[in-house]
Amino acid sequence: MSFTEKVVSPLAGDYYYKIHHDSGLVIYVYPKEHNNSTFAVFGTRFGSINTKFRIQGETEIYRVPDGIAHYLEHKLFESEEGDAFSKFSKTGASANAYTSFDTTCYLFSSAQNLYESLQILLEFVQDPYFTEENVKKEQGIIGQEIRMYEDDPQWRVTFNMLKGMYHTHPVREDIAGTVDSIRAITPENLYLCYHTFYNLKNMVLSIAGKVDPEKVLEICDKAFHQQETPEVERIFDREPETVCTHYVEQNLSVSMPLFQLGFKEKAGEQLIPVKQLAAREILLEILASDSSPLFRCLLDSDLINENSFDSEFFEGPGYGAYLFSGESKNPRAVEKEILKELETVRKEGFSSETFLRAKKSVYGRNISALNSADSVANSMASLAFSGRELFAYLQALRDVELEAVLEQLQQGFDPEKRVLSVIYPE
Amino acid sequence: MEKIIRRSIADGVHFLSIPDPKFKTLRITMHFLMPMQPELLSDRALLPFLMGRASQAYPDFTVLSQRLDDLYGAGLNSDAGKMGDAQVLSYSITGISGKYAFDGENMSEALGHLLENIVFSPAFENGVFRAEDLRQEKRQLCEMIDSEFNDKRVYAKRRCEELLHRGSPCGYSAYGTKESILRADPTQLKKCWEQMLRSAQVEILAFGDCDVQAICSLFAQAFSKVDRSGFSPLKTERIPLSPIQRMEEQQDVSQCKLVMAFRSGIAQPDDLLPAAKVMSAVFGGTPSSKLFLNVREKMSLCYYCSAQFNSLKGILYVQSGVNTENISKAENEILHQLKEMQQGNITEEEIQAAKLSMCNSLNTVSDSLNALEGWYFSQVYASEIITPEQAAAEIQSVTKEQIQFAASQVTLDTVYCLKEREGEDK
Repeated sequence: MSFTEKVVSPLAGDYYYKIHHDSGLVIYVYPKEHNNSTFAVFGTRFGSINTKFRIQGETEIYRVPDGIAHYLEHKLFESEEGDAFSKFSKTGASANAYTSFDTTCYLFSSAQNLYESLQILLEFVQDPYFTEENVKKEQGIIGQEIRMYEDDPQWRVTFNMLKGMYHTHPVREDIAGTVDSIRAITPENLYLCYHTFYNLKNMVLSIAGKVDPEKVLEICDKAFHQQETPEVERIFDREPETVCTHYVEQNLSVSMPLFQLGFKEKAGEQLIPVKQLAAREILLEILASDSSPLFRCLLDSDLINENSFDSEFFEGPGYGAYLFSGESKNPRAVEKEILKELETVRKEGFSSETFLRAKKSVYGRNISALNSADSVANSMASLAFSGRELFAYLQALRDVELEAVLEQLQQGFDPEKRVLSVIYPE
Repeated sequence: MEKIIRRSIADGVHFLSIPDPKFKTLRITMHFLMPMQPELLSDRALLPFLMGRASQAYPDFTVLSQRLDDLYGAGLNSDAGKMGDAQVLSYSITGISGKYAFDGENMSEALGHLLENIVFSPAFENGVFRAEDLRQEKRQLCEMIDSEFNDKRVYAKRRCEELLHRGSPCGYSAYGTKESILRADPTQLKKCWEQMLRSAQVEILAFGDCDVQAICSLFAQAFSKVDRSGFSPLKTERIPLSPIQRMEEQQDVSQCKLVMAFRSGIAQPDDLLPAAKVMSAVFGGTPSSKLFLNVREKMSLCYYCSAQFNSLKGILYVQSGVNTENISKAENEILHQLKEMQQGNITEEEIQAAKLSMCNSLNTVSDSLNALEGWYFSQVYASEIITPEQAAAEIQSVTKEQIQFAASQVTLDTVYCLKEREGEDK
């Protein structure tokens, strides 16, 4: 029997259902009764980093081409009777998909014909159809997508940094692969990946908006059946704690240099608990938000601009890093200031007012994100893939204490594990 | 259905609000519209940036940022843009509703007052803007202009637009030029600020979980102290016809960007506007459109090829990213697909798909504060304001004959192509 939990957040004044479906699938439904529209995401824990794996009970280790998860995402839209877009065109839903390092998600947004659209989504994701001809045809399209990213300085500055940071982890490879690597993609290896990773125990369905959980369950009961699915072992080569290099640069057609400075952090296959994640988000806010001394110092010395400077904690299975990025006439000087500031804060700490301000700011942003069905459905899905829950994270932000943030500061930001990536004008 | 009313709270100052407690946030925006005057563009464009960094009550960048953090990470966004023939200076504040604040603060009031202080009481020194603030904002605005060059898709569209408008003011950048930005002086800027308050057309919009009365009276009172006798309403003109022009540029890029601008002569408030919009959607607005299905899916020439319609100017833009050797193939196919529509080769299915997709988007507008604000502000020149639902009904009633007629009005005006530099092997 399926089992339904109701998860309530007094902070958000909202609730959602977490349904453990018979088939092994986990389903999230977040009702927003006053909404006009609904957003649904059907995703699997299979992304660009899963290029090496073994199926339980077998001895063979499979190594599939870089970019295959993304290629599969493109091809899944096709079926023997035509493509999924043409089916969605009859309901009006706006459909799309994306592949990240560790997941692939298929989604739609609809303000009408929700349940018909949901059926289409569940059907096409469960109905692979790969032929020599249709696989080959996609090479031109994805080739152009890869070219587009080759010209994108933001994208390049990130991947150059990741290549400098990781020795073996596949997070260092482009999500779409390369024009060369995708030539090795065939119907056979697509089917292999599909049958390995697109099983319901490895997937999540997440829906937010004007939606009736009963009707969702009814559709899921029809669409999903219990499957005998083998466990898959995701294999990663040993990744040293060090970085490959502290500095990497490239020239592109840009008018001003772009930089990304990353600090490699310890990361296991299991992600850190929400409490630590909350502390890290607040820590970055204290260090680098608009109101921070660092930001002010960089701005006053003409080293950054408000429009582009940003920071984030980036993580996934086997990788994690604090990132600072932006445009600067002198990225080396920005790096120096950031290292100096880290040393100062590590020695002196920060006041409880500073901490509370940062906490309010991060908390407010997370509350605001609940406005959007799109953001709610995507967050529920990506948190589920990381073994986390939406409201538990919100509560962790409310509860986090100064000491926990200081602890993260002491543990992280090792200057020996930093990588500066710069894109210079030609 | 409730009629949406734009109230006048002073000469040429309009207030439009749709409160809705389903949102966890509220958003207040002030748009100041003035005719595009080449010699004043940069001075005016500097104002929102300069005023967004400090005010009388929060006289320093860091102090203001701290205030925003204290208001739960409220966002203050100011920018300069264009709307038809007008330059628009925008000041916007977004924050969580008091319901979610730790101590139940009155957020409508707090956010409203902060925005009012920013707009009406800048941080002056000796009666004018501070030289150091201005120096900083000049640098940052110049860097913003530079960074437009980095995103080739945006860059190519803007170049095409400049060509299309052939030196008329509405083809200029809303920021003016770097040269004129660097010439700006504090005294002149203060005059521009006074002029903005006195003579611009002002649109104030408030959405989300907000206290309409409090916000409306706050701004009515603020404007009651301003002499608005110099106000004169704005209008937007259509573009006259002229022969096709072409331009090519070369840069070190992997992918070419093709932008084609077509004139239709159909612009607000033309009765044929809904038909023109459906025509644009059938042409290249969805994954079931002619351009997507032919240029991308059938010919595998590109990753994106789409059409967009500008209702204020009656311009249809087509954009695509292709390999150099395929430029003319793509261009010919785009023109061929247009011809198909002009000859009436449009199926009922294509029309239905376009209409459903457009209605889906329109019916989603009321679920996002950003979309709501964009929707109502885009009607600034309209004689009567309509809701997204009313617009959806108009779309539904468009006939095939009207679509074909709208297509027959479309003529190619400008072709811009950003190409890979010759003699390089990538």
